[in-house]
Amino acid sequence: MRRQQVDAAILLHGPNVTYATGFVPDAIDASHVNYRRAVAIVPATGTARLHSHSATSPGPALWPELDDGIPLVADAISEAIGDLDGKRIAVDSITGAMARADIFDGAELVDATRILGPARLCKTDDEIACIERAQIVNEWAMEVARSRCVPGARRSEVAGALLAEFRRLGSDHNEIDPIFQVMSRRRADGVLTDVGEVAFPTGIEDPAFAEGDLVWVDGGHGYEGYASDFGRTWIVGREPNPEEHDCFEQWKSIMAATIAAVRPGATLADVGRAATDANGGERPWLPHFYVGHAVGLDSAEMPMAGSDLGDEFDEGFVLAEGMILVLEPIVWRDGVASYRAEEIVVVTADGSRVLTSGPGYLPYEGPDDQLADP
Amino acid sequence: MLTAMAAADLDVLVLGRQDDANFATGMHRLWTAGTRPFGAGCIVVRSTGRAHVLSSWDAGLPSTMSTDDLYPATWNPRIMAGYMAGVPGLRDARRIGVDEVSPSFARAVARIAPDAEIVPADEVISSARRLKSPEEIELIRRACDFARAGVDAVLDDPRGGIARAIEAIAALGVTIPSSAPVFRALPDGYTIDIGVMVDGYEGGVGGRYETGRRLPTSDLPSACRVGATHGELAAASTGDWLVRGLGMGFERPVLNATLGFDEVLEEGMVLSVSDGEHRDIVAVTAAGPQVLSEPEGER
Repeated sequence: MRRQQVDAAILLHGPNVTYATGFVPDAIDASHVNYRRAVAIVPATGTARLHSHSATSPGPALWPELDDGIPLVADAISEAIGDLDGKRIAVDSITGAMARADIFDGAELVDATRILGPARLCKTDDEIACIERAQIVNEWAMEVARSRCVPGARRSEVAGALLAEFRRLGSDHNEIDPIFQVMSRRRADGVLTDVGEVAFPTGIEDPAFAEGDLVWVDGGHGYEGYASDFGRTWIVGREPNPEEHDCFEQWKSIMAATIAAVRPGATLADVGRAATDANGGERPWLPHFYVGHAVGLDSAEMPMAGSDLGDEFDEGFVLAEGMILVLEPIVWRDGVASYRAEEIVVVTADGSRVLTSGPGYLPYEGPDDQLADP
Repeated sequence: MLTAMAAADLDVLVLGRQDDANFATGMHRLWTAGTRPFGAGCIVVRSTGRAHVLSSWDAGLPSTMSTDDLYPATWNPRIMAGYMAGVPGLRDARRIGVDEVSPSFARAVARIAPDAEIVPADEVISSARRLKSPEEIELIRRACDFARAGVDAVLDDPRGGIARAIEAIAALGVTIPSSAPVFRALPDGYTIDIGVMVDGYEGGVGGRYETGRRLPTSDLPSACRVGATHGELAAASTGDWLVRGLGMGFERPVLNATLGFDEVLEEGMVLSVSDGEHRDIVAVTAAGPQVLSEPEGER
């Protein structure tokens, strides 16, 4: 805030509120959290004020969505930072009611991304520990879900098994309707994007699985608000055939080369190049996504490598200790098979570390300790 | 939506919220929890009568829309600005309504449509959503049935807790919560509250359960009559109370001890009615309140 010469930040976006106060809004439908907003008011000097709808909220619950909720919002702001006139205020969201009341009248508004973006880029040890814990729980629960992904089961049943297991493991913070998308073997047989690429994750259908289906899996829940990101490819009801296994082996070598490129001082372009080189010169990722993205309080945040921010951006962005990349290369052999999985990699002082309990890549390959014992 | 835009003198509507975009277009997409940073998820242009939706593919698109109505997802603000500039009718708009806004979005719009004024349009959308059609009421009733299936599963196996409700609702094909589920053991029973989203519409039920049945602990649902005022609802409540619109999620009106003093209930509203731990979903009809969260025979 000092660097941006901002006098205060007024935050309504859940992850920003969590970053400022530690309070984690419920992982529920957006319409509910939009009305029952948690609000953080953060003066540049002094302590952050939290207003949530939980019983333990230090400040009164606020309703910035509603015209008759605005007087209390205005009181809370003025109590925390005084008169706004002439002040430079960072905000992430302005509701209709806030705009109608001209609640920031006299202040210069800047986008809170300018402050939160840089602040959230490099994770502390605590933040990394939260992400790692979330990922380990995710990996465990996903193994339960995999055991339910059998011929005749529907996506919703497998998703239900995952969500129930999250609960049993003490997590109530699922962040996405879990994705178990059956991928066609031929690109042309599936849903395509505007540029004719594979559409994933569409997230809207509830098919019953059949033996031999290739299922791309993606799910994430959070710990203390910090997201995990589990990606794998499963085969329904049978072991992988040699061609499918070959696809996986190719993916593994791409993943290994990409992880090896993640270190302090490397650019995002270095990471993308390592993946592309390991894939014989072709970019092994979907053009509407990236080969890697960070997780933190948002499930996809900066930095991103190989995105449509472009080569110049990637060349200019240098990785530093504490940054995170969830790497998600894809191998697609049209008409044969595909493989996609994700690993969370954190940049350390001298290289990188994968945040995982090492569950392996079943049904292609078990955990390392099993492999060591034939 | 176009009629509402004309009445509010809006040339363009830019919707960032998923429920608003769903309402305006009938589009379905991947559900994620929590708030999202504001962005142009859906653009409705009055002069052309067209809705444009942020999506890289046509899966989930209603049959009334085509791939021509899509602009693909992008991480790049400059590319997004280009897509917006290419939406016919946006550049020369005078008044652009938004359901929320951020400083960076306002700046981007100022570059694309320099003559446009950005105005709040949350009221335009919430007015359009305020009264429910019979079809919508049936969708909400169905969503309540799903929530009740979750409650029944918890009552069947209380030790399994909320996980049992999640599995039971998932077995019916639904994996999206609306609100945070509640399950607490009491000396003589349980407090349970379950909310779900089914095909874009919300359902729910909550209360105190003893020997497998919900106790009738609140008179507030039966006070939800056409013309009911804040004072009448407050008088009928016995605990912490909240009466709020329910449809494609949490909606207006919102009444509780401190909000909504000027609101009057209207025929066609559907409300989530909470009084202490009791919660019913109630349709306000000419024939009186219709409780959608009770089983059909007991309504």
